[in-house]
Amino acid sequence: MIFHSLDFIIFFILVASAYWSLPRRGQNVLLFGASYFFYGYVHPWFLILIATSTAIDYCAARGMEAWPDRKKGFLWLSIVSNFGMLGFFKYFNFFVENVEHLLGGAPHPALRILLPVGISFYTFQAMSYTIDVYRGELRARRSLLDVAVFISFFPHLVAGPIQRASFLLPQVEEERRLTVEKARSGFLLICWGFFKKLVIADNVGVIANKVFALQDPSFPILWAGVFAFAMQIYADFSAYTDIARGTSRWLGFELTENFAHPYLARSPSDFWRRWNISLSTWFRDYVYLPLGGSRAGHAAWARNILLTFVLSGLWHGASWNYVLWGTYHGLLLVLTRARGMLSPARPAASRALPAFAVPVLTILQIAGMFVLTLIGWLLFRETELSAIGRDLRLSPFAATALDRQAGLYLFALALVYSMPLWIHSLWAEFVGPDTEGARSWPQLALQGIACGLAFAAILVFRSRTSLDFIYFQF
Amino acid sequence: MHRLSASRIPSGKAAAQIGLLIALLLTVPFAIRVVNAWHHDVPETPSYLPALEGPRARDAFDATPVRDLARMNPGYVIIGDSMAGTRIDPRRLTELAGQPIAPLLHPGSGPAWWYLVLKNWVIASQVRPRCVFIFFRDTNLTNVMFRLDEQFRWMVDFAAHEREDELNSVIATRTEGPWFRLAGTFESIYGAGRARRWIEPALTQAVGRTLIPSRRQHAAFMSSMNARFSLDHLRPMEAADIQSAEEHDADFGRYVNRSLLPLMLRDAKAAGLTLCFVRVQRRPEGGRPPYQSRALRRYVTDLRAYIESHGGILHDDTGDTALTLDMYADGDHLAGTARRLYTEIFFERLKPLFK
Repeated sequence: MIFHSLDFIIFFILVASAYWSLPRRGQNVLLFGASYFFYGYVHPWFLILIATSTAIDYCAARGMEAWPDRKKGFLWLSIVSNFGMLGFFKYFNFFVENVEHLLGGAPHPALRILLPVGISFYTFQAMSYTIDVYRGELRARRSLLDVAVFISFFPHLVAGPIQRASFLLPQVEEERRLTVEKARSGFLLICWGFFKKLVIADNVGVIANKVFALQDPSFPILWAGVFAFAMQIYADFSAYTDIARGTSRWLGFELTENFAHPYLARSPSDFWRRWNISLSTWFRDYVYLPLGGSRAGHAAWARNILLTFVLSGLWHGASWNYVLWGTYHGLLLVLTRARGMLSPARPAASRALPAFAVPVLTILQIAGMFVLTLIGWLLFRETELSAIGRDLRLSPFAATALDRQAGLYLFALALVYSMPLWIHSLWAEFVGPDTEGARSWPQLALQGIACGLAFAAILVFRSRTSLDFIYFQF
Repeated sequence: MHRLSASRIPSGKAAAQIGLLIALLLTVPFAIRVVNAWHHDVPETPSYLPALEGPRARDAFDATPVRDLARMNPGYVIIGDSMAGTRIDPRRLTELAGQPIAPLLHPGSGPAWWYLVLKNWVIASQVRPRCVFIFFRDTNLTNVMFRLDEQFRWMVDFAAHEREDELNSVIATRTEGPWFRLAGTFESIYGAGRARRWIEPALTQAVGRTLIPSRRQHAAFMSSMNARFSLDHLRPMEAADIQSAEEHDADFGRYVNRSLLPLMLRDAKAAGLTLCFVRVQRRPEGGRPPYQSRALRRYVTDLRAYIESHGGILHDDTGDTALTLDMYADGDHLAGTARRLYTEIFFERLKPLFK
């Protein structure tokens, strides 16, 4: 079931209405049933996978507490079963194709394996539970129902944000309340999410898709398309997160933030503190730190960073361009740190800057990081490696006047559609944080008008080509 | 029954605040009507598809093909989209068949256009070709909504009269669902459909005019842009034109009476025409015919039985070993170099129809 469908709207209204008339345990039973209905709505067999993952992780965690001397074995059971499912459904064809390519044999018809939507998200979430129990940071839960609700909670099941057991499980176990603040802010998040998806992401997505379908894009057209894709993926993914967070609030839950205006990042490390935060912190805590983090010297740190980012790239999909994208971002982090080590006097130099130069430097840092991010998005969006090579070799000086005009036109169009996103980010970054609180009636009226305008924009500007949420494919 | 504690859900003033938000959400979009009133729109006429859209400006019915067909008096007519266009070489087929061939093809066309072309051009011209071939892929034929979105409607306009009641009623059977009704209700309440028709072009034009103020140069630029993004410039990407058949579309029994297939067969029979539906083979995979789900195979079996029981013919290219992967360009399109070969294979396979 997808958020921008009447099915979901009816489903959510029915669930939310029944939900608040039940006691906590009844609410959890309803959430469990609703989440499984939501997930199995199109392909009921997906439920076998999530139920298997839940059962194994529940038993593994209980086993760790019952037999502490065998807890490593239970951890491996959880890891192997989750990665086994993920590996089979997501990477089997990729593996077979590459082995065939290496051996030089004739290609075999690939197995028709349908990637179960959301599997990358809920397996990672389930593993966070068993790993935390293994580490002694969390106690194993007795209630299978609570664990099942934690893993399958429908608002964020398909595309995150990935929640930690230590954050979400206590909410599953506690009495929930629907405060006016939660209901109001949830309502705003849902409106803003639908606006971002239907007005911004779907419209700029049309521009990006047209450019990336070209056989011979010129430099200006290609980069206008990359810019459009950058806007699309941010608007699309953050829209899903906002709708997930908004609907969760209506059920009395709080989900973690997943984005913090990433295109205003000033450095690669700053970008990763703002982009897909739930996934980055998952990789930090469960891959990077166990590998040794930055404790074992510069070379080991660089290796750990690169490995973490390669895996993060591979998490996005079974394709070499994602590996390239992850490697690129890992390298950016390594090079940034290397540069910092080579010029340790920079902070003092920054302090010595005249007052007027500080905002200029900030703008240059943001612009520079944005350009680096765009290069990353080219690697992410372009699935053919040969095309990536060709794209990176394109010269701005070889473009014709028409291509320059066309590139500028497409860029301007993408900028116009994404302007609300930029204004929102700039406002939140430089004027004040998100003003989710509204204490007075006039403030509330302003927020209502904003929601009404968003709805009007959806009615008028919603794209004729309705696209799925991009992160559904991961 | 469990009693609600007052602290678990908001009430009183809190509920009024949420009510205000919802009320504004629903009332502010009436501003669209105000904006529409300022805009002097081009004259609009009631649509021939009221099940789908409100009044709008449309292109007039094009009667030229009717006259051309009557003058040409073709022995065979081919109707379809780029699937037919990249497969059939009309000149070669004319040579083989010894009869003139009339290709009525449009890339991006769908069953609504095919139906109107058959009814309003071929049958209306009163020619009696020996066979009318209609090319399609998988479940397209019974999906009346396929390529009927706004961006394709201009093409349908050329083949449609002022009223197309039967087409409209078939569409109505597909748009009677709650989502269509809800969307249609909102559009009519707020005037959103009308606003969409002028605001979006105005926005894109404003962007273009800012960059190129001269009206003449702007028009030339837009025309060059369209050429720059035309089919010739698209990469030969396997996914470019692969539109996988959704499992839920492959339910023949559910959709046949909500499609244009019965009307096509009925009209052709009444006009004394033989209809042959040609299901093209999709792109082979790894040297084998393309994968077909069980539902799709069942669908094709049902489709064949239905067409044949109504006096039509179904020819299915799928599984034809002569149609190899090297003949394909992008997606399900054949390469230009393979057109002649396909035409000859097509002629061979359907030889009885060409006698």
